[in-house]
Amino acid sequence: MSDDELVLKVEDLVTNFYTYEGVVKALDGVNLFLRKGDTMGLVGETGCGKSVTARSILRLVEPPGRIEGGRILLYVPNEESGNVEEVDLLKLSEEDMLHVRGRLVSIVFQDPATFPNPVFTIGDQIAEVVMLHQDLRKEALEIRIEELRNALDKLEGKGGLVSSTRREKIRERLAHYESQLDDPPEPDPKYKKKAALKIAEDMLRLVKMPAPDKVMMQYPHELSGGMRQRALIAMALACNPLILICDEATTALDVTVQAQVLNLLNELKKEVGTSIIIITHDMGVVAETCSWVTVMYAGTTVESCATEELFYNPRHPYTAGLLTAVPKLHENRERLPQIRGSVPNLITPPPGCRFHPRCDYATGICETEKPHLKEISPGHWVACHHPLPDKGGKR
Amino acid sequence: MRLRDFIIRRILLAIPVVFGVLTITWFLSHMVGDPVVMYINTNTPASAIPGIIRSHGLDQPPHIQYFIYLNNLFHGDWGESTSMSFRPVTEVIAQRFPATIELALVAMVFAVLLGIPLGIISATRKDQMIDHFTRIFSLAGVSMPIFWFAIMLKYVLYYQLAIMGLPHLPGGYRYDSNRFYWFQYTTGFILIDSLVYAHSIPLFVDALTHLVMPGFCLGYLTMAIITRMMRSSMLEVLREDYITLARAKGLSEKVVIYRHALRNALIPTVTVIGLAFGGLMTGAVLTETIFQWHGLGQWAVSAILSADLAAINGFTLLVALIFVTANLIVDLVYGTLDPRIRFG
Ligand SMILES: Nc1ncnc2c1ncn2[C@@H]1O[C@H](COP(=O)(O)OP(=O)(O)OP(=O)(O)O)[C@@H](O)[C@H]1O
Ligand SMILES: [Mg+2]
Repeated sequence: MSDDELVLKVEDLVTNFYTYEGVVKALDGVNLFLRKGDTMGLVGETGCGKSVTARSILRLVEPPGRIEGGRILLYVPNEESGNVEEVDLLKLSEEDMLHVRGRLVSIVFQDPATFPNPVFTIGDQIAEVVMLHQDLRKEALEIRIEELRNALDKLEGKGGLVSSTRREKIRERLAHYESQLDDPPEPDPKYKKKAALKIAEDMLRLVKMPAPDKVMMQYPHELSGGMRQRALIAMALACNPLILICDEATTALDVTVQAQVLNLLNELKKEVGTSIIIITHDMGVVAETCSWVTVMYAGTTVESCATEELFYNPRHPYTAGLLTAVPKLHENRERLPQIRGSVPNLITPPPGCRFHPRCDYATGICETEKPHLKEISPGHWVACHHPLPDKGGKR
Repeated sequence: MRLRDFIIRRILLAIPVVFGVLTITWFLSHMVGDPVVMYINTNTPASAIPGIIRSHGLDQPPHIQYFIYLNNLFHGDWGESTSMSFRPVTEVIAQRFPATIELALVAMVFAVLLGIPLGIISATRKDQMIDHFTRIFSLAGVSMPIFWFAIMLKYVLYYQLAIMGLPHLPGGYRYDSNRFYWFQYTTGFILIDSLVYAHSIPLFVDALTHLVMPGFCLGYLTMAIITRMMRSSMLEVLREDYITLARAKGLSEKVVIYRHALRNALIPTVTVIGLAFGGLMTGAVLTETIFQWHGLGQWAVSAILSADLAAINGFTLLVALIFVTANLIVDLVYGTLDPRIRFG
């Protein structure tokens, strides 16, 4: 894959948690790539490290967790030169990371109920991130001009000396501000806030929040789970990020709302031009919304390819097992097939391939040598010593 | 008006509390001894005692006496303080109340201004040197008996320094009455009177130096409690998901702590502050006695020692009222901090 169409490339990411029971080797060589404008599904069983991956990308792993190695490359378009710059997030200073978070990479966390701050209104919380990352000079000036125009309209038709001198004064100020439109000065904080609140309300409208003007003034506890989810998506999208990571953004929602939110994300992608990572363990969600899938198992990437390819031609034994375990309506089976054994303990993970104790195809090499992610056929990456045969084309 | 209804309801709810307190103290105080001892001394002829008993209604059955007490109370007659040469209890309270409130407020300001920042620092630098120091400092505050601490402080900062001829803090009283012999109280708050009525900066400074030691003693325990509360609630809040979200927005650590975490962490701390204000009244009893502070606490001690029942009942009732008011204020502050709390 040529690197110029990528926005994110994660290479051999390693994250550990230093707990009393021992070192939890939560991520051990995660590899991802996300293309511009793509929606990628990140799938895997519970506990396989999807959320830790998401947090690692933003460097938000909290102690006792620590990112131990790898590279997180972000491809940032430089507006002046038109070139794309490669930035390794793990090498940035904490201060520079502040410009990445919320601005270039946004995240919607798993479980929306606990995420908004309970003591601030939704409007304030969205406006906060807008004020932090956006310039707003033009927007603030426009609001000021609009206010003056409204004031002028109100005075219109009123006679009397007082209102005519006031009109004159307002016209003067209006002309003054209009002359600044080409190069707006640093705005007054009050107008900056107003501009940010306006953008916040537009964002709520964009995510199809019911009664957005009312929600702006409400506190998180006054909203339903679906509304909170939308508010968080609005917050994450408020600064048109390069990448949006949705960590089980829809799992907590009921099916109809879930479908709405997913459609919404796809629409927004077109509108805002954001690339999206959808973290889920729901294969149905992946099939419907993602063009690319990355499968994780016990802290490693096992397979990465286009969605159709994955469903029709899985090459990693784990992926194949995962797919046969998905219930299908047209088959009426007594028992769903399952992968034998259970998810390994990440404090003492199996050596070599982490999947080998559960794998039907495992040989000696699987116990000793960790397989690396390789492109085994065009556009299909697999980390396995004995990948399943290529079924070739669609079934 | 939701807020007004809330306040009215809280005041109505406070009535049974205050009533319960005054009933219990009245019966307790009349159980421990014969109330007639208040009115006699070793020189009183035995033949005069039946007359004294009758004239104070002490021959009535207890419940009748209690109703007489209540009746008088609602007419503004809180009885006479026998230990204060039979002056009306209300008059003594009016005279001494400012001294105690002034001391309690200074203690409170000191406790809050020191306790909250210490708690924040301690939480954000968890397990670092400064956190250990803060924890030892506050553990000392909650473990030391206030009277012992006050005496030790006075011994070192006043007595020892004075003996060595070094500059030292005053060991008691509200101001130096030899130097400022001309001073008369107007409002009773010396910090106000010295500036507004006496126009004397030296007196103000003198009063402040007199406030330092008792204020610190009285506030130390409260400060320690606030620090510990602030530290633990801050640590808890910093683990909350909304803090992660705030960080994910790209906010700097300073903004995350002071805008997003602080307000949430203050919510439980405010409760503690309200309760502690009631506790300051209790602490004042000891502090005032040690620092010859002519406030309510000192009066309460002498009242107890001389079985001055009207004074004991009056003091207890007043403390109950202060407690209830402090809690009402806390609930109001609570509501402004936490939007989840609805008045009404
Ligand atoms: N704070 C922590 N301390 C110790 N271990 C942790 C911590 N956070 C995560 N882990 C470990 O990291 C592994 C990956 O967790 P993660 O939350 O990423 O799973 P997930 O794939 O998101 O699962 P789910 O689908 O349930 O959300 C788990 O084994 C978990 O035990
Ligand atoms: Mg997760």
